[in-house]
Amino acid sequence: MNRFQWFLYHLVRLSLALVFVYAGAVKIQDVVAFAGHVAAYQILPYAMNYLVAATLPYVEFLTGVLLLLNVRVRPALVVIGGMTLIFMVALVSVLLRGLDIDCGCFDPAGGQDVSAGMALLRDVGLMVLVVLTWWLRSVLMAGSAKRET
Amino acid sequence: MTDDLKRIFLEACVLIAFGALFGLTMNHQLVLDAFAGRLVPQRPAVNAEQELQQDVPMALPMPVLLDEVQQLMTDGGLLVDARSPELFAAGHIEGAVSLPLADIDDVLPDFIARTDKDRVVVTYCSGFGCPDSFDLGMRLIEEGYSDVRVFEGGYPEWRDAGLAVAGEDQ
Repeated sequence: MNRFQWFLYHLVRLSLALVFVYAGAVKIQDVVAFAGHVAAYQILPYAMNYLVAATLPYVEFLTGVLLLLNVRVRPALVVIGGMTLIFMVALVSVLLRGLDIDCGCFDPAGGQDVSAGMALLRDVGLMVLVVLTWWLRSVLMAGSAKRET
Repeated sequence: MTDDLKRIFLEACVLIAFGALFGLTMNHQLVLDAFAGRLVPQRPAVNAEQELQQDVPMALPMPVLLDEVQQLMTDGGLLVDARSPELFAAGHIEGAVSLPLADIDDVLPDFIARTDKDRVVVTYCSGFGCPDSFDLGMRLIEEGYSDVRVFEGGYPEWRDAGLAVAGEDQ
């Protein structure tokens, strides 16, 4: 791994970490409002919206913290990638049904509405970061293994 | 390599389980209330104070989902729109009556005269985040209505589901 790759790895890792720590933290502060956003997708039954709202932000926060600490990076990336993929499927379904809702991606009580289309584009960007971090992490680990032998 | 991937996915599962368990621990009452149908969003503080003073739980309007609202309407329930008369005129759920919360003291006597207190009443407003339907539901319970429900998705969810609406903008 060269110096640029090393720098890039830590940059994308920390960027992803901050996004997910922030996304989780603001939702944890207002779980009920987030449940309203989940319900607006009209995908889950009533009570399931609250179950998702009660658990998802904590998983987001935890994965963000692990990335921040550079610990269990690849398992955290798998979870983040999986969640982002699910968000993207949900957003596509919103677009196909023509629903005009706020994505609820970040601050559920905030006034800044983000459309499903914009949120989908953002999620594509996050997926690119996930794949890039995974690849750079693999390069980093391969380099370490080579030095040990 | 396969073993490495297996370990990563196993750790990912543990991570999800740990996060979800922590979330459930922090919000178990909320989730239990939601599954028991006891949950009402945006509960006004004033009612919580009244409840404490009276030392008896107040009856709360029961939240209902879109398909349940349709069934209740088929069974003779009454949909009540808690939004302003202007919003009602622009667009409302077909068959709903207007009972704007802002003018409740003026419009309630006429509503009470026309509506049997045993009839199922479903209140709605502008969807999640709008507390008026809940406040109106509480007021109707105080006035003696025995079965009051709140349709949290409100007009936006009904309209977006492609169900019948009425009003000037339609």
